[in-house]
Amino acid sequence: MSLSYKNIEPLIISGKNIFSKWLGYFGLGIGVLLLLVSMQMFVNIQQLLKENNPRKSGGYDFISISKTITNDNMGKDNSFTNADLAKLREQPTIAGVAPLISNKFRVRATAGDIIPFSTDLFLESINNNYIDTVPPSFTWQPGQITVPIIFSSDFLEMYNVFAPAQGLPQLSAKTISSINIILECSGPYGSQNFKGSIVALSDRINSLLVPQSFMNWSNMYFMRDTAVHASRVYIKTKDANDPKLISYLDQQGYHLNKDKVKFSRIKSILQNIVSALGVFGILVIVLALMLFSFYLQLMIAKSKDNLRLLLTLGYSPKWLASSVAKTWLPVYLSIIVVALVLTQILHLLFMQLSFVKVENLSYFLNWRVWLTAIFLFALTIFINLRLVKKELGNIL
Amino acid sequence: MQIQLRKIIPGYIEQEKRSTSQVWEQNISIRKGEHLHIVAPSGSGKTSLMHFIYGLRKDYSGSIFYDDMDIKKLSTESFSAFRQNKISIIFQDLRLFENQTVKENIEIKRILDPYHQSQKIDEMAKRLGIENKLNQSVKTCSYGEQQRIAIIRALMQPFDFLLLDEPYSHLDEVNREKAMDLIYEECAKRNAAMVFADLKPLDFFKDEKIIYL
Repeated sequence: MSLSYKNIEPLIISGKNIFSKWLGYFGLGIGVLLLLVSMQMFVNIQQLLKENNPRKSGGYDFISISKTITNDNMGKDNSFTNADLAKLREQPTIAGVAPLISNKFRVRATAGDIIPFSTDLFLESINNNYIDTVPPSFTWQPGQITVPIIFSSDFLEMYNVFAPAQGLPQLSAKTISSINIILECSGPYGSQNFKGSIVALSDRINSLLVPQSFMNWSNMYFMRDTAVHASRVYIKTKDANDPKLISYLDQQGYHLNKDKVKFSRIKSILQNIVSALGVFGILVIVLALMLFSFYLQLMIAKSKDNLRLLLTLGYSPKWLASSVAKTWLPVYLSIIVVALVLTQILHLLFMQLSFVKVENLSYFLNWRVWLTAIFLFALTIFINLRLVKKELGNIL
Repeated sequence: MQIQLRKIIPGYIEQEKRSTSQVWEQNISIRKGEHLHIVAPSGSGKTSLMHFIYGLRKDYSGSIFYDDMDIKKLSTESFSAFRQNKISIIFQDLRLFENQTVKENIEIKRILDPYHQSQKIDEMAKRLGIENKLNQSVKTCSYGEQQRIAIIRALMQPFDFLLLDEPYSHLDEVNREKAMDLIYEECAKRNAAMVFADLKPLDFFKDEKIIYL
């Protein structure tokens, strides 16, 4: 018969109060489950709401602001002055500012013979760095007849909604680039026709964008006007949901296009909830481990005389500590395994939800969840062993 | 292995007892195979001496060496190694697991470093007349029976030294001799030293060195 915990088991008095032991197991299980599930859900939300977010690139959010139109300022000039722009640039939460410059002259667009369509139009220009899709052809030089245009994909969508009712053909993103638009530009100082060609669609900026060089030239040529009149300004910021930024913009009476940041707000709220759940899980784990440690202290205190006698007889303190600690190993392992299985089941149930795009998610738990489970297992074993050693040391 | 006592003296012993003692403040070495009989009236420190040698107490001055190791410097871990197969003891207060059976009490020592097969327990129990107590709980045994259990337990392991602290105090003459024979036999098998502490010299004790505490 070789030496094992079984030989000394009858000498370790576990006490009648097994309620606290089971409460500890239960608490630990709940805590581990909460932590693992919240981690997996955090990752799921991250994956699902990763969004091909056009506002975001290189870690920056691009959002448009305009001055809020109220009954008081209605009819006045509500464009941004250079001073306004300079003030915006000073804000630490704002990494960059670019005004959208609009045309002062009149622009009329006709789509030629293919689509019997003609309308007054507005054009805008902005620093190329603020546009999400800039093809190499998006340049213009004086004398050039063709003007490249970046068209808002929202506008295209809108057009396709009302086009059938108006007897106009619906257009795909591809065909729109093949349409030749005649731009009839006119002002007090002259008029000229240009050929407009849509070179790209922008998800970020709701406008008809032309190169800055064309806008500068034409405002000067048709209107002799070089002043900046920007009714909209794009700002580049690390976090569009930064409360400091939002309160500053509110203070200034600037209107933020909330629709664009709603998505990331939902995401951050969801992630905050899930994180709070995770923190709660950690708290429960800590409490459960504390309960265990009380249970362990009680157990060792009750078995004090027997343990002392075992040591007197020649049992090694190290062996005693590790064999007493080892008895919890299967319990801890089962708790972690059960929590992992439940997390996996919950994850699969989550994937059944109607709004979840299954192709964005893996059926298996994220590696971070596995790693956390392994870490928790190691941690509980480590804490347990240390506690047993400490308690044994105390009775020697 | 050899045990050396170098001028050890417990803190609480009065001056006059020190000067007459053949142990306190003396240099004594005990070698394998030797039999040493320490005689002293009760309260003169026999049990303390045994505990000092076994490493349970350190409240003495001077030093005790296992070979060249000062045992005051030994860790509990190293002590456990010595107690498994170098040094065995029969405590005066027996120190048994009261709620375990007789057999379990002996077995728990035997499995630590088995010198004997399990059957040997039955054999020894028979020799000492406690064979029908083996499956009883220790607390149902008389003190004399418990003494015999402690003796058998101490003989289950390999040892170079056997410390006996008044092991026969509750045994009648017949049982005392039976136990003594068994202990002698087991020590001879291992060529072990025996350090035997008792109140008075025992008449059947053979060719021992007797020293007075």
